[in-house]
Amino acid sequence: MLKKAERERHTFPDMMLTLLVLVLMAFFYHGIHALMLAAVCAAFSLAAEMISVKFLGREFRYGDLMCITDGIILSLMMPASMAYRAAAAGSVFAVVCAKNVFGGRKNMIFSPAAAGYIFMLTSWKKDMLSFPETYAHTGFFADTEGLASSASHIYNTTGRMEHTGYEILMGSFSGPMGGVSILLLMIAAAVLILRKDISAGAFAGTIASTVLFAAIAAEHGTKMRTAALAVAMNMVLFAAVYIVSDKRLAPRKAHFAFFYGFFTAAAAYILVLTMAKENAIVIVSVLMAPAALGFRTLEDKIDILSAEEVSAKEAE
Amino acid sequence: MKERKTSVFDGLLADNTVLSSLMVISPVIVCGDTLRNAAALIAAFSVITFFSVMISSFVPRKIPYAARIVSYAVISSLIYIPVRIAAGEFWPEAVERIGIYFPLLAVNSLIVFQTEARFFRMKRTNMVLSLVFYILGFDAVMLVTAFVRELLAYGTINSMMTDTPMLISGLGKPFGGFIFLGMLCGIYRKIRSAAGHRKEEEQEE
Repeated sequence: MLKKAERERHTFPDMMLTLLVLVLMAFFYHGIHALMLAAVCAAFSLAAEMISVKFLGREFRYGDLMCITDGIILSLMMPASMAYRAAAAGSVFAVVCAKNVFGGRKNMIFSPAAAGYIFMLTSWKKDMLSFPETYAHTGFFADTEGLASSASHIYNTTGRMEHTGYEILMGSFSGPMGGVSILLLMIAAAVLILRKDISAGAFAGTIASTVLFAAIAAEHGTKMRTAALAVAMNMVLFAAVYIVSDKRLAPRKAHFAFFYGFFTAAAAYILVLTMAKENAIVIVSVLMAPAALGFRTLEDKIDILSAEEVSAKEAE
Repeated sequence: MKERKTSVFDGLLADNTVLSSLMVISPVIVCGDTLRNAAALIAAFSVITFFSVMISSFVPRKIPYAARIVSYAVISSLIYIPVRIAAGEFWPEAVERIGIYFPLLAVNSLIVFQTEARFFRMKRTNMVLSLVFYILGFDAVMLVTAFVRELLAYGTINSMMTDTPMLISGLGKPFGGFIFLGMLCGIYRKIRSAAGHRKEEEQEE
């Protein structure tokens, strides 16, 4: 019990470390606006959490600080040119409507960042799917000219990828601020899995499913290239690390988590393949919330039955 | 549980049709995104519900319950016809946009359920007053919801442009309507609970 509590205490600093690295990379590529966007999302998430925790009649505890990571995750899914007001509205929605309305961090149903992303996608679709070019440094107040579709959208619709492997690894292509830094995301995944801050099973299932389906349905180029691009594009790797593998939502047992990640990624890949839906995995992760809840309920029942069996044996 | 004293005015505030009883929420959520839609729905709902319940109150009690409910639905469907024609003259675009939710008003919860559960157990004078306030309760919520959603989602008030600094088009969609109505219900219940506590404290004093 104590080990579990200790482990949970280092989740927040570990997540913040990896997210701050991604934010710094976004600052390198897109300038001060990217940094301010992350700061605005974090600040508004924290404020919304503090106010709504007060309304729930609870004390603000250390575990509630995870709202800051949710805000930064949401900001990393936005274009670097997003308006501050929209980002603030999305952060408040994510914390209040997607989390605290259902009872807070102990009763989470959706990933707040994913729900906030969907809210922003439906409210500001054009702004959310228009990205500045890499190295186009936007000032404090972003210049909304010169925005274009993401590399993922071009890949989904045409099958063409004009960036080299090196550029993809370094994140030197247009897309969401944090979803493009593939090498950093791989390192973040390794760190967070080894530190047991995210669900290894869910992560493995997500990647395995994406690679498998991409290899099966490869149309352009080699199977390996298609599989690699399937993981790099459409925020699959980002979502695999920070949304699908979120320990607050993913099933606790590794095999259940694997299947949860597997089916989430499979459904997302089918959407990408058939409808060219950009960043479908974020949308599907919200739709798969009932499955995650179902797995958790099943795990609780298994634990209760096991405990009853053990106590019955001891009584004998 | 403490029994609350009921009043004919309950339908407007204390036991609001939409916010408290969660009745007739579909038109509010799906169609309550502009004031024009709201006006068409309010007019239709008010007329259909009032006249349907008034006429249905004369249906003999000897008829079996199930048959009575069917007869209420038939009465409200007949009243729906002239209401639909009139609404088509005044709000043609709104009626087209509202779609299936317009005819569904003819079988709303106040007609098919609350008639037997509440209205027909009251004296006629109280019934009329209570019915009017329940209708006004729906109208008020519809107006407030439509005003806020139209302003924030489209930046207009009754189709007139305003200088709204930020638009949240998600509020104009059904999921936005769900969330907005849910928030409104929460705020309403908080205010009602606070008002109830204050009244109890005053009575104790």
